[in-house]
Amino acid sequence: MFGKSKRLWPRAPMKTAYDAVIIGGGLHGLATAYFLARDHGITDVAVIEKNYIGFGGAGRNTAIVRANQRTQENVPLYKEALDLWPVLTKELDFNLMFYNCGNLNLAHGEATLKAMRLNVATAQFHGVKSQLVDPKECKELVPALDISDRPRYPVFGGMYHPPGGIVRHDAVVWGLAKGAAKRGVHIHQGTEVAGIGTSQGKVVSVETDRGKIHTPRVLNAAGGYAAALSHAFLRQRLPISVLTIQAMVTQPLKPLLDHVVSSGTYHCYGNQTLKGEIATGAHMDPWPNYTTDTTAYYIKHQAEALTEMLPCLKGVKFMRHWAGLADMTPDMAPIMDGNDPIEGYYVDCGWGYFGFKSSTVTGKYMAQFMAKGECPDILKPFQLKRFQEHRLMGETAALVNYSPDN
Amino acid sequence: MSLTLTCPICGERNGYEFRYGGEDKGPRPDRARLTPEQWCDYVHMNDCVAGVQKEWWFHRDGCGAWFTTHRDTRTGLETDGPDNAART
Repeated sequence: MFGKSKRLWPRAPMKTAYDAVIIGGGLHGLATAYFLARDHGITDVAVIEKNYIGFGGAGRNTAIVRANQRTQENVPLYKEALDLWPVLTKELDFNLMFYNCGNLNLAHGEATLKAMRLNVATAQFHGVKSQLVDPKECKELVPALDISDRPRYPVFGGMYHPPGGIVRHDAVVWGLAKGAAKRGVHIHQGTEVAGIGTSQGKVVSVETDRGKIHTPRVLNAAGGYAAALSHAFLRQRLPISVLTIQAMVTQPLKPLLDHVVSSGTYHCYGNQTLKGEIATGAHMDPWPNYTTDTTAYYIKHQAEALTEMLPCLKGVKFMRHWAGLADMTPDMAPIMDGNDPIEGYYVDCGWGYFGFKSSTVTGKYMAQFMAKGECPDILKPFQLKRFQEHRLMGETAALVNYSPDN
Repeated sequence: MSLTLTCPICGERNGYEFRYGGEDKGPRPDRARLTPEQWCDYVHMNDCVAGVQKEWWFHRDGCGAWFTTHRDTRTGLETDGPDNAART
């Protein structure tokens, strides 16, 4: 029973040349490495991670998955991501603990409901299950919900999205690392990238604190640090603001919440984990920073918002509180681009707080992009030049800076 | 540590009184011969420096002044200038 435990993936020697180097051992990096090896036969790949895999957003998100975004371009991508969880669970031979509990978004006024009508229409057009519900139906879905006139923002209706749910994020990190390493990918933890070498408009190498790696292809999948690295190494600026985003869990409780519940008005979402804790997240810090500090300001906000929606949680204690980084773009849609203007340099960033739910499907298409050198059709709307051409994506009204006013 | 900012009119105040106004990108580009690339650069693009940056703030819950100051994005604290460490 207490036999010697086996490593999920072997330690690999650091080579001086690889066919592809991925900066960032988060979910996007690991997924891209996995699909490069699985679909394109590119197995000579190094994933370079400064800390340990899953240190950043991959291990700090609140594990929610869904496909009820707003735009035509986003919904098919997230739908495919949802469909991938059961497939990958089998393929990786690793229980990703996909709990298909469905998501309920609350509306507290006619304007929100109107926006939801559009979202539901888009979802149904793309074959994604999503429907409007009235307060009584909200209460049937979540009996603990207060639908009376007591809260400051009473429940006016909602959008129910049955295909969503939660996935154990650490399991995805470990499963993908195991699957990628099994196919020959080298994962180098505790290795910092110090520069990207280019020559005549092409990527030629990556500098690390463990030596220089020669490579024709580099993917910048450094999450919250991607924009800073892009500017520091290549003088390429990105339309990104990096903000700390906080989340917390309560003490474990008996099962009371069968769905992910969220409210944009209260800036609050919550779900009950399989351990019984209520995991809840908040809006981002009001100014850009790389601190990943937690603040008393948000604990107070979160306690107030959560107990307005679910009054039975009054008096329940928060047990843990942590923070990660969100790299926000002005249109709340990611940037996936590459091979232009620097041949062989690819970027996958600007995911904000959508990086977890999109990770596997993005890995699949970024791998195709890197293997063939041509942007797959599904990723074309996410190219960087949309900002120059005034074709922002409309996931939200365009915002130049992030603040609580937004 | 929570953020305090030095408003040129009100002095040191709690950071939550202010609204962040973006990285300081210098003067607005000249309208004549302005290319979409330059405009996009000015409007959207950020340095995202992990370190001290010069940035705009608006004293929303105070006197309403717009001003620039320096802040270290690694600590989230205001600094005395571009090269100085955060105030303690």
